[in-house]
Amino acid sequence: MNTAIVETINVTREVAWLPWAVSYFFLIGLSYGAFLLSLPGIVLRRPGWEGISRLALLGALVCGLTAPVALLADLHQPGRFWHFYAHFTPTSWMSWGAFFIPLYLGGLLLYAWLAFRPLLAAHGNEGGRLAGLARVLAYGGLESRPALLGAAAVALLGAVLVALYTGVEVMVVRARPLWDTPLLPVQFVLTALAGAVGLALLFNRFGAAAPNGTAVVRMARVLAAIELAVLLAGALWLALGLSGLGPTHAEALDQVAHSPAWRLTAAWAAGATALTLLLAWLRPGSGLLIGLLALHSAWMMRWTVFIGGQEVPKTGAGFYSYELPLGPEGLLGIAGTAGLWIFILVLATTLLPLDRLAPAGRSGA
Amino acid sequence: MKFDSSQTPAAGCDPSRRAFLRGLPVLTAAAAVPVPALAAAETRHWGMLVDVRRCIGCQACTVACMQENAVPEGSFRTVVSTYSVEVTDAPQPAGTYVLPRLCNHCDDPPCVPVCPVGATFKRADGAVLVDAERCVGCAYCVQACPYDARFINHDTNKADKCTFCAHRLDAGLLPACVETCVGGARIFGDLNDPEGELRRRLDEAAGEVKVLKPEQGTSPQVFYIGLDQRFAGKVEGQGSLWKPQASHG
Repeated sequence: MNTAIVETINVTREVAWLPWAVSYFFLIGLSYGAFLLSLPGIVLRRPGWEGISRLALLGALVCGLTAPVALLADLHQPGRFWHFYAHFTPTSWMSWGAFFIPLYLGGLLLYAWLAFRPLLAAHGNEGGRLAGLARVLAYGGLESRPALLGAAAVALLGAVLVALYTGVEVMVVRARPLWDTPLLPVQFVLTALAGAVGLALLFNRFGAAAPNGTAVVRMARVLAAIELAVLLAGALWLALGLSGLGPTHAEALDQVAHSPAWRLTAAWAAGATALTLLLAWLRPGSGLLIGLLALHSAWMMRWTVFIGGQEVPKTGAGFYSYELPLGPEGLLGIAGTAGLWIFILVLATTLLPLDRLAPAGRSGA
Repeated sequence: MKFDSSQTPAAGCDPSRRAFLRGLPVLTAAAAVPVPALAAAETRHWGMLVDVRRCIGCQACTVACMQENAVPEGSFRTVVSTYSVEVTDAPQPAGTYVLPRLCNHCDDPPCVPVCPVGATFKRADGAVLVDAERCVGCAYCVQACPYDARFINHDTNKADKCTFCAHRLDAGLLPACVETCVGGARIFGDLNDPEGELRRRLDEAAGEVKVLKPEQGTSPQVFYIGLDQRFAGKVEGQGSLWKPQASHG
């Protein structure tokens, strides 16, 4: 007996994690990704990486300072954020996250300050904009390698824990098969790294008077490798789902595979990643384009996971339909977060102009 | 259902004739066997049986719940999901299937461990509740619930859900949805009371009793008789023709 079921009355459960959450996961991902990108040049002193790492560190700082604001805004009771610290709940990854974020940001701020102190002092001494403030912040401008390494270690621990919690927090939600896949944290990390390289490429393109071609090629190579890993992770996800070897992947695939909208989304995501990989590999000089593509993929992945994931009813038939509201819970929230990001970027680059950070040795585009 | 002696029927809470009449046997029973009844009060475990065969889909429970608990417009703590089911390979008119839904007050509730501030908890009597004074409105519990039973209340900006009408239980009253059910489809009571109607009905229908999404391993304490397997999990079919939706105010 075959039946056709039409749901005539049911409830739409609205999206409870709003675009604020997408903004947070996007920015905190870019931040820890960019922080990792700052290590080769600043901590490991790899030749050719100095400028890239300085730009990446600026990105880590700007994104890292913006992200918690978006996270707070996603709480429906933001004034109660202190409850996270008053009522620690070890069974909740979100509760752990409330401690990981300040650990990471504390380490990052200290690391960035120690790394940028000499540059701040130089800016102050040369009488640039806000030179007085730069001199105060530089606090003598001394370079302390042991302190820098210590701060980098704290920030690295924080970054790893933030990457872990942001992935696992979502992965443990068994009620949503699309989230409950072991590959999700890996995919978050990989797309965050790709987005971070994209951000550094953007800074390099717009920041320097003449963008550094060698640095662009170097970053393009890194981006190509990351995008290859993104594609492999996606292919593995699909293979586990299609073969049935991964029951959670199969369940997740089953929920959305028949939806034309989801098929288009999957094709778009895979196509954009493949295009980024091809361009980064074959035309490594196209820094701006591949940078924007990588950032787009990082945002889109999170939007699809969070907003798209919440459009799948847990018990009801079909899908819930989401339309981006124009107010603070939607478009205005995204624009506001972007505005804060730009404000912090302007403030930071007033003290630390991009051309002072950008890779040395200009050579074409 | 049978009430134990610790649940005096709320002096000053509900002066209705119904409450008064219900209270009489309680007082009588309390006078007759006070000790066993008090002992039962300490070990009671609330549960609900939904006899789908008796539900007529009138949504009286839905409305009663909204009125009792001041649920904002567009949000629901309980609802009767209604489906049109057509047999495609036989010439017969489509039928209607109704399924009352509410929080399942799971014995292993996935909403509890994820709460980052310990605001969601399971009471000793089995009811899963939210401490509104502590809730930060992060909605992690909303995501973790496999039954879509939770939501953010935009009047309070906190997590909201069915409480089994805990305030009524504490006053010796039945949940509003049970009280108002026209067909007697919702049977509420103490699962640990062997003499109670709930336990008796569950035992009688032992082979037919099911729960929603058993594969989730949540041990729901809302049981169903007449639950068609096609509706026990995510329903495969065409999406709702009418879905009221809450909105940020």
